Amino acid sequence: MRNQLNERVAISGVGCTHFGDLMETPAIKDMSLQELTAAAVKEALDDAGLSGQDVDAVFAGNAMVHSSQLPATYSQMSKWTGTQFKAGVHFEAQCSTTNVGLAMAATAIAAGVYDTVLVFGVESTRSKVKDYSPYEREPISHQQSWLWTDMAVNQAYGVPQGYDIFSSYNGLVALGYCRKHGISIEDFDRGMFELCRTRRLHGSMNPKANIQETMEDAAKRKGLSDAFEYWQSENNPFVAWPSRLLSLVTTADGASAMVLTRADTAKSGRSQPVEVKGFGISASDLPWYGEDPTIWKNDERAVEDAMDMSGIKAGDIGYLHTHDCSHISSLCTAELIGYLEPGKALDAAREGRLRFDGDRPMSTHGGRHAFGHAWAASAGSDTYEAVLQMRGKAGKRQMPKPPEVSVIHTHGYAMIGTVIVLGGM
Amino acid sequence: MQATSGKPNKIRWYYEGLSKGVFRASKCSDCGKFTFPPTGCCEHCGSWNVEDAELSGKGTLLFATHSGSDASHPRFEKAAPFVYGHIRLEEGPIAQAIIQGAEPTPEDLKALYEKGPVPVQAVTLQMDDLPVIAFKLQD
Repeated sequence: MRNQLNERVAISGVGCTHFGDLMETPAIKDMSLQELTAAAVKEALDDAGLSGQDVDAVFAGNAMVHSSQLPATYSQMSKWTGTQFKAGVHFEAQCSTTNVGLAMAATAIAAGVYDTVLVFGVESTRSKVKDYSPYEREPISHQQSWLWTDMAVNQAYGVPQGYDIFSSYNGLVALGYCRKHGISIEDFDRGMFELCRTRRLHGSMNPKANIQETMEDAAKRKGLSDAFEYWQSENNPFVAWPSRLLSLVTTADGASAMVLTRADTAKSGRSQPVEVKGFGISASDLPWYGEDPTIWKNDERAVEDAMDMSGIKAGDIGYLHTHDCSHISSLCTAELIGYLEPGKALDAAREGRLRFDGDRPMSTHGGRHAFGHAWAASAGSDTYEAVLQMRGKAGKRQMPKPPEVSVIHTHGYAMIGTVIVLGGM
Repeated sequence: MQATSGKPNKIRWYYEGLSKGVFRASKCSDCGKFTFPPTGCCEHCGSWNVEDAELSGKGTLLFATHSGSDASHPRFEKAAPFVYGHIRLEEGPIAQAIIQGAEPTPEDLKALYEKGPVPVQAVTLQMDDLPVIAFKLQD
């Protein structure tokens, strides 16, 4: 493949809602999914200085239609977003949805078909439509949530025979990492604690995060003076030994949106545009790795393609998000990309290098654990954060020096490795 | 409708094999590699020229962890939590499946981890509604 964008493409506007629970979280409580979507879209369109009628096409992402009951999302949302009569499609790439949408939009713009494309993603992982009500929702049980989510995983042989996300994505990867690098289980546990502590710190500085409580405050709430004691307590059980609960995703409801446009027109917008320098996408069915659980071929290919299209090297990356549904998997990906030295990611976490003010900042919005995970909306939340950091507009968690190049990696369950490269204009 | 490899339904064929203690796969006539469990196309080279095959069920357990306490699927409610492992099969494919012969406790799993790769043999685990593959630790 030629692997090139024939015209330059930019993100001219971004939007993202608070991630939380539509039935509980004050900032989004009682909103419909239509209104949640509209909130993210309005923010992105306002950011770009456009209205819904200024865009040429709408790529509408929603992964779990079981909870949303909104297929044909592009048309059902059109009167809520001002985009009636535009071209549109409902698509999903699970947890990579919004950034695969970004790649689809960049492709369409660079091909000369559209000038401006709106991409959004919306998801409810915490509640579903109650009975047949147009506005009432009810909670989804743990098992129901995973049953629906796992419909994106090998339904012929994997899920029917006991596939378990916590094992495949966390425990086995953790053991592979420890064996490969000669790391003790005890050091692994301490490193995972430090990584989670950093994510929680970032979440505490993000008013849109699902969890805004630091690990230290969570410990105090439970009557413990030491955060590591809290980490090792019954509050944080093993979900797939040696991986614990707090190294995992927290589910959320949320929406995100972005406006993509030709780079030569982006600068006339309202806000500082960011260029889409390149992307790479590669999907794999189970098992996601061979003998070595730390090496995922689909990620290798996605990274290689994104680097090739953008022309960047690992040393150019100023900010990185890697998909962190599983914290250990996210570190393996960061090492694969070359952002962190192989086998040294846990050290980097312990030394605070992954903090917003460290020399290898990652997931400054709080990541899937603290910011939360709303499947089809999450990749857009990662891109939102990267754009804020590049503009110097990330508030308390702003990196001291705004990055010139950002890389965002996501895993679309299961498993669509997606990498996008953003650069300053 | 006939599947490309001549079997009416590869998925049913696989599970019917399990119920008889047979571990069915596809073998590529072009590159010679196995696709396990079977599909109608080679997962390695994309060739449609595949034939039915059976695997020995012999393998090596590389790593073992455990599932969540609350089963993600109703089929495994009674079984969870269970040991879940990463296995290299004698014929080459990598598989992940339920492991028999160890308890899903940190103590058992740590002992298994420290022991390193161990031999396992595929067995059929009969759930209420479906036979599924599992691997038994070999002493």
